[in-house]
This record gives sequence, C-alpha cells and structure tokens, in this order.
Amino acid sequence: MSCLIVQSDKTLLLEVDHELADDCRRAIAPFAELERAPEHVHTYRVTPLALWNARAAGHDAEQVIDAFISYSRFPVPHSLLVDIAETMDRYGRLRLQTHPIHGLVLHAVDRAVLEEVVRAKKIKGMLGERVDDDTVAVHPSERGNLKQALLKLGWPAEDYAGYVDGEAHAVDLAEDGWQLRGYQREAAESFYAGGSGVVVLPCGAGKTIVGAAAMSLAESTTLILVTNTVAVHQWRSELLRRTTLTEDEIGEYSGTRKDIRPVTIATYQVMAARKKGVHSHLELFEARDWGLIIYDEVHLLPAPIFRMTADLQARRRLGLTATLVREDGREGDVFSLIGPKRYDAPWKEMENQGWIAPADCVEVRVNLTDSERLAYATADPEDRYRFCASSAAKTEVVRELVRRHEGEQTLIIGSYIDQLDELGEALEAPVIKGETRVKERERLFEAFRSGELHTLVVSKVANFSIDLPEAGVAIQVSGSFGSRQEEAQRLGRLLRPKSDSRSARFYAVTARDTIDQDFAAHRQRFLAEQGYAYRIADADDVLAGDEL
Amino acid sequence: MTHDADAGPGGSGGRPPTFTAWLRNRTDAQLAALFALRPDLVTPVPADIAALASRATARPAVLRVLDRLDRFGLQVLEGLVALGDERLGGPPGVERDRLAAALGAGAERLGDTLSGLLASALVWEDGPRLRPVSVLGDILRTPAGLGPPLRTLLADRPAEALDRVAAGLGLATGYGEGGPAERIAAALGEPARLERALELAGPRARPVLDRLLWGPPQGTVSGAANRGGDLASASSPIDRLLALGLLVPTAEDTVALPREVALHLRGGTLFHEAQTAPLELSGKRPGADTVVRAAAGQAFTVIRSVAELLERWAEDPPGVLRSGGLGIRDLRRAARDLDTDETAAALLIETARAAGLLAADGEVDGEWLPTPEFDLWREAPAERRWLRLAEAWLRSPRVASLSGTKDSRGRSRPVLGEGLDRRSAPEVRLDVLGVLAAAPEDLAPDEESVAARLAWLRPRRQGPAYADLVSSTLREAALLGLTGRGAPAPHTRALVEELDAEDAPLAERDKTASGELLAAEMPEPLETVLVQGDLTAVAPGPLVPRLARELALAADVESTGGATVYRFTEASIRRALDAGRGADDLIALLERHSSTELPQPLRYLVSDVARRHGRLRIGTASSYLRCDEPTVLDQLAGDRRAADLQLFRLAPTVIASRATRPVLLGRLEELGYHPVAEAADGTVQLTGTAPRRAGAASAASAARDLEEPAAPGAELRMAAVRAVRAGDEAATTARRPVSAPDGAPPRSPTAATLRALSEAATQGRRVWIGYLDTEGRASSRIVEPARVEGGFLTAYDATRAAVHRFAVHRITGVADLDASSH
Repeated sequence: MSCLIVQSDKTLLLEVDHELADDCRRAIAPFAELERAPEHVHTYRVTPLALWNARAAGHDAEQVIDAFISYSRFPVPHSLLVDIAETMDRYGRLRLQTHPIHGLVLHAVDRAVLEEVVRAKKIKGMLGERVDDDTVAVHPSERGNLKQALLKLGWPAEDYAGYVDGEAHAVDLAEDGWQLRGYQREAAESFYAGGSGVVVLPCGAGKTIVGAAAMSLAESTTLILVTNTVAVHQWRSELLRRTTLTEDEIGEYSGTRKDIRPVTIATYQVMAARKKGVHSHLELFEARDWGLIIYDEVHLLPAPIFRMTADLQARRRLGLTATLVREDGREGDVFSLIGPKRYDAPWKEMENQGWIAPADCVEVRVNLTDSERLAYATADPEDRYRFCASSAAKTEVVRELVRRHEGEQTLIIGSYIDQLDELGEALEAPVIKGETRVKERERLFEAFRSGELHTLVVSKVANFSIDLPEAGVAIQVSGSFGSRQEEAQRLGRLLRPKSDSRSARFYAVTARDTIDQDFAAHRQRFLAEQGYAYRIADADDVLAGDEL
Repeated sequence: MTHDADAGPGGSGGRPPTFTAWLRNRTDAQLAALFALRPDLVTPVPADIAALASRATARPAVLRVLDRLDRFGLQVLEGLVALGDERLGGPPGVERDRLAAALGAGAERLGDTLSGLLASALVWEDGPRLRPVSVLGDILRTPAGLGPPLRTLLADRPAEALDRVAAGLGLATGYGEGGPAERIAAALGEPARLERALELAGPRARPVLDRLLWGPPQGTVSGAANRGGDLASASSPIDRLLALGLLVPTAEDTVALPREVALHLRGGTLFHEAQTAPLELSGKRPGADTVVRAAAGQAFTVIRSVAELLERWAEDPPGVLRSGGLGIRDLRRAARDLDTDETAAALLIETARAAGLLAADGEVDGEWLPTPEFDLWREAPAERRWLRLAEAWLRSPRVASLSGTKDSRGRSRPVLGEGLDRRSAPEVRLDVLGVLAAAPEDLAPDEESVAARLAWLRPRRQGPAYADLVSSTLREAALLGLTGRGAPAPHTRALVEELDAEDAPLAERDKTASGELLAAEMPEPLETVLVQGDLTAVAPGPLVPRLARELALAADVESTGGATVYRFTEASIRRALDAGRGADDLIALLERHSSTELPQPLRYLVSDVARRHGRLRIGTASSYLRCDEPTVLDQLAGDRRAADLQLFRLAPTVIASRATRPVLLGRLEELGYHPVAEAADGTVQLTGTAPRRAGAASAASAARDLEEPAAPGAELRMAAVRAVRAGDEAATTARRPVSAPDGAPPRSPTAATLRALSEAATQGRRVWIGYLDTEGRASSRIVEPARVEGGFLTAYDATRAAVHRFAVHRITGVADLDASSH
C-alpha cells in the first residue's frame, strides 16, 4: 500500500500522513504541479506543460513512469502512462537554432513533425524558405510568436538560438554579513545554464536575491519588471544591500519617475499603460541594449507584457514566482515566452520557510436582526453586498476580538468607508482610507510598525498600492483582495508566523445567511486548499466569551 | 457436380465407394462429433444420410469449414487435392504414406490433422486412400501452387496442336490408342520420359519453368495460343517448351505449367516447407505481477466508467439519431465525462449495449437509457459485473473502433448505429484471445507475432479487414482489462478456457475460475474516507456500495479513478436532505466513516443548510375550496360522506383536496353543497423523480438481434444423429408398414404433449401421436421425435417413412407406443 493515487483526470492524490509521502512528493514534484494542499490529501496535477518542464529540466519519461509505478497504490491505467511518454516525447522534436547562412532556423529532429508544422495555418507566415528537408528559416521577429504557436500545436520547440550579450555592466554580489543560500545559488546557476526560464520559490525564500545572483552571472545591463511601486522600492533597497551596485546605477521607471540606468526597475502597470491606444513606454525596451530582463511575480504578468516579451526572445529572461498557476490559464505563454521552469524549491525548504500553514483562520458569523434581514431581502441586488457586509452587528464582534488580542498588532480591513469610520470611532483607532494623505499614512504605518500604535483600521482601496505592515492579527470586515491568488499572497505577507511560533490569526467577520457568507465560503475553500487551518465561530459565542 | 453425394440405397457391394456410403458407416458418435464441428449441417436436420452428404459437400458449407482450418490443415488438404486427382492417371485419392512423403511432415502432426479433416468430413476414406470431397477441387484451383493436370490442359487444344506436341515427344500422332491428349499425358506421367523431354527443351528452358514452378502456375506469353510450330522450328525456350507439352497454352496470352511437370521438377515435395506449427510468439515480458495489476486495474476502471456513464445518462439521456445511433457530440461529452478518449468511450458504450445494460427506449423521440438490467448489474459483485461486460464484448459482432469511419456513401458511422457489425468479429476476438492465452506466462506478444500466429491459424481469413479486426481486438482487450501491458491476465486465460464449458453466461454461473481470480485482484472495498477542511472527502479506493451511494447523495463527485474525491456543497447537502436524510444522520454517517476528525466547517455547512431546509413547505393538491365563512368549511370537514375527497384544511377559510376539480365539483354537488368553480390557477404540476428506464423488451430485442444462431447442444446433436439415421433407414430399406394401435388417436393436454415429446426425443423412443393435417383431417402417426423447438416437432415418421416437421399445436395427443403395445 503506497501513498499515491492516480485519478482519471490526471490528478494525483497524495496521502500526506503516509510514511512514504515525503519520498513520493520528491519523486513527483518535477512533473506535477501542486494544486491543493489541505490537511490529509494533497492534489497534484500532471499537465503537458508540467511534463515539458520536467523534460527541460532533464527528466525523462522513464523516470516519471517509474515514480508512478513505485508509488501508486493502484495500477496506473496503461493509457495514462503511454500518454505521458508520448507527451514528453513531443518536447524537443523541433529546435530553434542559428544557421551560419540563414540566421534563425527551425530544425526538426523528426521530419514528419516539421511537415505537419509548416502546413499549419497559424505558422505559415512566420516561416521563411525551406533550407533543407529538416530545416526551415524563421523570421527573426517571429521567434517568440513561433514558440507560442508551436506550443499551442503541441510541439514545443527548444530554443538553442542563443542570446545577445547585451551591454556589459559589472554587477557583483556583496556578501558582507550574509551569504547566498545553497538553493539560491543553484536556482541562479540553473537559470543561467538554461539561458532563460522561470525559477519557482515560495514567498520569503529570497527571490530578489536569486535575481541579484542572476545579474552577477550575466554581468550586463538589466531591466527588472515588477508588479507595483512598493516592489520597485523593495528591489532597489535589496539590490543596494546585496550587490555592488550604487544608487546611481539603479533607475526607477514608474508613474512618477522615468530614470533609465544600467539597472532599471519598472512596473508592469507603467509598461502596460496606453495613451490613445498606444503603449507609450515601449521605448524602454529599446532604451538600452539590455542583457537580462527579470520578471518578478511572473504569474501576474499582464497580457500586453507577454506581447512585448514575444519580441525580446534574443535577450535572457528570468521569471520569478511562487507559483506557476495563473488565474487566467496562460501558463503556456509563460512557458514559451519566458521559458521553462529552471528551478523549483524543494518542499521541505518551503515548509521551513513557513509558507505552509502560516496562519489560523477563523470566520465569525454574526446574525442580522430581523429588521436587517427584511431590509436585506428587499435591497437591490447591487446594494445587497454592501448592506450585509456593513451590518452594525459586526462592530461589537470586532470590538470583542480586538479586546481579546490586546497588546498584539491588529489590523482591521474593510471596503466601506462608513463602516470603517464607525469602527475607528468604536475602537478609538486611526483610520487610513483613500483620502488620507501619504505623509499621514506613512506616519501611522511607522507608529504601527514600531509598536507605538496597536490597532489600525485600513480600507482596501488605500492599501492596494502600499505595503501593509506585518501584523499578528487581521480582522476583515468586508470586501476581499481581488483574485484568490492575490488574497493568499497578501495574507501570507500580512501574517508571518511570530517568533514565539504562535501562529498569526486571521478573522473574517461575516453576516449569516447572506452573500457575505457565500463569499466567505469561497475564501474558506481556497485557504483550506492552501493548507491554512480554518474554523467557523458564532458571534454570540464569541461575545459570550467562548475560547476560539 | 458433387458425385460424392450420389446417394443410392445399399451403398456397398459392387458399387463404387462413395462419400455417402462412407458417411453412413460412421458411428453415431462420429456423426455427433461432425455436427458439433459443423452445426450448420443440422439446421435444419437433414432427412437422411444422402441429404446430409449433399449438404456436407455443398460449396458454402465446405467454405465455412475451410475458413476455420489452420495453415497446415490447408496444406494437407491441398496436398490431397493436388495428388489425389484422378486426372493424373491413378485412382482418385492418396495413400497416407505418399502424402506424408510429399509434405515432408512428421507423421504425428499429420495424423492429428488428418483425423480432424476426417471428423469434419472434408476428407473421406476410400480403402487405404484418402479422398477430399470433390468440391474442394473447385475451391482450391491451384492446390499447393500447382497447375491443372495435362489431361485437363490438353483437352481444349486443337488436334493439330496436339499432333505437333506428340511429334515433338516422339509419340504417335492422330487418333487411336486413346487419342493424342491421353498419349501425351501418359507419356509425360512417366518420370523417365519427362526427364528426356526436359533435356530436349534445352538448358535455357529451365529458368522459364522455374518461374512458374512454385506457383502461380500460370504465366503470360503473348500470342501463346498461336505460337505453334514443331520442335524443329522452335527456337526460343518458350516455343520449345510449348512444342514439348511442358507448357500448355490456356488462353490467348497465358500458359500453364502442367501439374505433372511441376511435381516432377519439385522433386516430389509439395511445399518448400510444411508449416506444421506456427511461429513462436515474441514480445516483451512485463512481469507477471505487473500484468495482473494492470489488467485488474483496467477491469475496475471499466466497470466504474460504465456505471458512471449510465447513471449520468439516466438523468440526462442522449437522443437516438434519426438514423439510429449516438450523436458525435454525445460521444465527445461521454469521453470528457469519463476522462478518456472517444475510442475508449465508444467501446464502453457499445459494450454496455451488448451486455443489455443500455438500450434505446421505444418512443418516437428515442433516447438512450439504461435498462432495468442495469440496476441488477450494479448490485452484483465487481467481478461478475466485469464478466458480463467482457463476455458481451467477446460475443458481440459490433466493432466499436469502426465508429467514426466513413461508409461507402461517405457518411460517418455513429456509435450504436448502423454499419458497425462485422459477422466475423466474435470469432476473431476468440481467436486473438486464444492465441494470447496460449502464450507463455507473462509474455506480452507484440502485434506482429500475434498477427503471424493468426495468419497460420486462419490462413483463409487473412486480409486488410481481418488485420484491422485483430489490431482493434488487441487494443480493446487492453482497454477492457483482459490484458495488462499486452499480456493476458490469469483471469482472461481462465475466461477463454471456461467460456463455452456451460451454456449459461459467465456472470450467471455459480462459480467461475475467472471471476475468482479477478475478485482476488480487485481492490478491497473500503469503509472509510478522509474528510478535509476544504470540504472534500477522499475515498482512497472503491467504497462499499452503501457508503458510495450515501456519499454520492450528500456530495458531488469531483474526480474519479483509483480514488474518488467528493465535494460537499450547499446544493449537495440539500440534495441529501431532500432525499430524506437528517442533518444528524449525515454527520453521524460521516463521523462513523471518517478516519480522521470531521473538520468543523463541514459540521457548520450541514447544520446551516439543515436550518434553512424545509422552512417553506410544499404539498400537492389538485383543487381547493374557498369560503369566507369558516363554519361552512367546518361542516364540510366534518362530513363523513366527503371522506373520499381527501379534504385537508390549510387555513380556516381554505380546504385543499387531492381530488380533481371536476370530481370535487361533482361530488359536492351530489352532497348538496353547490360549489362554484374558480378560474383554474394554482394547480400543482406533479413531477416524477424516478430514474427513467427503457422497456425490458426493447433491450432484450436489441441484444437478440445481434446474436448468431446458437450452436446445437450435445443432446440436440444426438437427436439429430438419430433423426438422420431414422430418415436414412426409411430411405434405404424397403418400406415396411407400421400399424398404429387400434382405436382413436390419443388426446392429451398441450403441456403434457410437449413434455412427452421432449422426453421421447431425449430417450430416442417412438411414440404414437394424433395429428390434424392442414385440411383438418385427424390422423395418427408413429413417429420417432428428434427435437422439439419453435413450436415444431421434427421427427421421423415411421408411418410415412420420412422425416417430417409437425406443428405442435396440431398434435392432438401423444401416447407411449411401447407402453400401449404391451
């Protein structure tokens, strides 16, 4: 009896309490993506992309099938094994290469595949003349698009066409008082050896440092694309601390500043912004002869950046992320345009990093009064959520929760200003909202960070572009953080396990029998799937003083 | 044509030996064995031996046996036809020794094969010589690649051409001494003279002969028929050969190598090599354990998938195409639902239908629905469920892999539709499984070696269609869990062995070796699940049916395979509550079967849904009564006479009734309440919730349509032997009157009649029956019943001395003849 069960939809179920679970996890991690990690049974998914990633990382079908056979509790359907072997075999039948005369060419190890591909409608326009039976010229400008299209056809091409060196610029790691961790070095090296690709590391595992290490290997001018301004500042300060780069060498290219330096950090937002339907900041890509482009949080890469990236295939590209799963399902574009997965953190490492089960989540349900229920039932659909989410009944519960965590750093998060103001008044705590001036904001955050201030009420709108300070307790009264992915990320960032190994607390206060509760159910599912502990409590019990 | 069948009473004594006579001398057991080998000979039972002989030597019947012969059997037969031809000059037939020498085959193997050929009456014994039935000469036109004998070839030649040949050979020309053709044939039949003729032809002629030597014996030579000339003037090798009769023109441009010449040149052997045994199978050796596990796992997947699909279809049945069959979209959807491809889905669907689990219901807008049989099947143990599917597949002429291919008019053939039947499919499947089962333990024979083995086993069947069937059979066997990693599983070997051991279907037998072997490999049903905080429950293996049903009710199935993942949602919990489960029952059930502690959010979910469940209540009423004065309704509610109206008070001023409005109106009028009808809004529409099923009849007929006529059982065969013997006796001996006992014809009730007739048939007794002929005249007959089926009695009528069929309903009664004559 082993610990792995193969489902017919190509998901793998891993019983985590089984004694072989750790070995099995190591065996399947290269070719299966972890999808859900609740307490007993983890779900992995085997996708063509995951298999091709495994191929790109040097694993072969034999190894994959071996893992299946040695860990599977039940016989694995033969068709599945055949399918896996066939899928893996499709990788690398086609190669992009540089031809001494014809420049960029598509070369086939298998002539039949080339014949199939050159006949495909979508690809015709990207190819030039036939060089020989196994080779066809490719328009250099189509390198990225061709890779995308080939992936869609199920014949992912390996890119051996090499990279431009770019403008040289000396970057070195400044290892004073800290050291590059083993896995960080491995990640950077395997990226550099592969030329371009994605490094998958959990939050807090030091992705920025991997980026810095990659820069020191490339020794060239670097463009770094990140999600938002806060991240720009983080990268900047990290680079200053970890490398020999000086302030003058690092430029910031954002909504407010447009400096172009040997190392330039830009936000996706700026790059994707359009003026009169035209991407007005495209020139940044041409501004220098970049030798390396780093994409932070590659799972959030917006569509326009993909399009731009398609034209940058001759430059080294490093993607950094905690997960390859994209909400929009464009994993294939990451694979073909940024590159295959070059490094994946070992699971144990992730656990040590505290990424798993970092917080304890409690949903507290309040009852609406009869009159509120009637009002809720008759409210217009668009007002319903606002109505139940900002129920007056929540205030008292929040007050009780805050009282219980007296002395701990507590954040109260909500979407509706009226409700937040009311809470601020009730808790005698300052409120940060959209209209709060930046100076005031920073002052309050500083006071919170230093422990001078214990309780802070923040609006969701306000905290979108600002790095929330870490807190031991968060109470969410309304709204949610965008996509589920983002929500987990923010929660993860917000709630770090405390030094005394007491886990952080996340409360969601919801109104019973309303759509507020339905939203909470979605959150519950996702958090449970991420391995967070999740419980539900009644507001009445909380108020009556029950232990949570 | 079939002079074998020349009947003739008597048979022996001076008359030339005939096939019929030989057949007559076979023992009863041998005849019964013949019927077992060739069931088509006794449907219907022939009247006598002569009729049997002529049927046994009829071309279609012989072709049917030939198709089942293996390569060596065919070679032996070809040898007999080639050498035993009387046109070669000798008496018809071949001695065993000569045949063995010509084949160069081991005596033992030859002996076995010959007794097989004798048993199936393709060959008969004429003293020491073996003779093929004559129709074989027509069927096997070029036995062993040999051309016709000289006598045949020369018969059509003009006289002057024959004269030239005779001259060339130095023989007398013209008529006299049996004519030139006979003379030439006799001369070339002697090895010495033939050798001399070959020398005369010259060394350059030899390569020409060699090209035709091992067949085909015909060659093309332009103007062959007119290239005459005598030996002296012939210059080219071909002309010399023609002039010497070593080649004979057969048509304008073709020549043939005479059999005598070829046999001589071959040095007496018929074949390069007698293929007494097939090639060894070759392939990978995946390991016995892997094979068993893989096959059993697949078998489990098959029964799970069929159940899953049919349950889906019970709720949301796909329509029957106008042309019959299943639409491509429905097939794709099924494939998606089962996480498999269309080929596999098509196979499962066809197999489910063949097993009688799926049928089109008879309505105009037909739908594909599970049959009532499906409900029984679902309750059976896993191995029986599989056996039923496997056997249905084996015996079905439907070839699922043909679905989606185009027919002759370019239309795509749909699954479950027309054009997927291949009459030979069951036979091919059995052959393939037979070959696989004969493979050594844990050998997974590759397709080529299986095909090669089958080419030996069924040489006359070969062709592209056959090859397709073989490869689809191998694929389907793997999909159905008959093979694992290409090697037959132990349960499959057992299945092949016991398939025809009894008449009952495998799944209905008390005990089957295949079932037991499979049951031991199937995963043990579990009683526990793992319930998790994300509101899923994982069953790490198959569940006991009761738990599986309860879980499927209370949770949605999210993924299946080795395990089943269930997800609890508000809707699924509500479904369970709707089905009458209480919140406490659900929690208790989960607590009992969860191997870990129930996550707290799940308890909340159940109690949340339960709290809101049933706050609104709905009932069924067909009509209502309203009255502003509650006292009137009090009075009505208390009225005993109105009890049949099933009135119930909903509110002081409203009464609802199950009776329909006209009924209520009429009854209350009768009782003197004088109600007035209201506009008819608010009547409740009833919805049926029972899963829909197709009628049993249509399912049965669908299954029956596809069946081949069954081979007769052992009893029936013996009865047939008796009937034929009796007929033969009647036909061959002088008629002797049989007198019926005195008195009126017997009368007995129909059931008794049937019983008595069947008894008499099995015991081979003669009985006395009363019979009304077509004009209604009563008569009495003495008959020897052979069999009773389909409302007819087939019996030898001793009074008329012939085999007759009697309509059972016209038989007025039966009396035991022997008893009555005492």
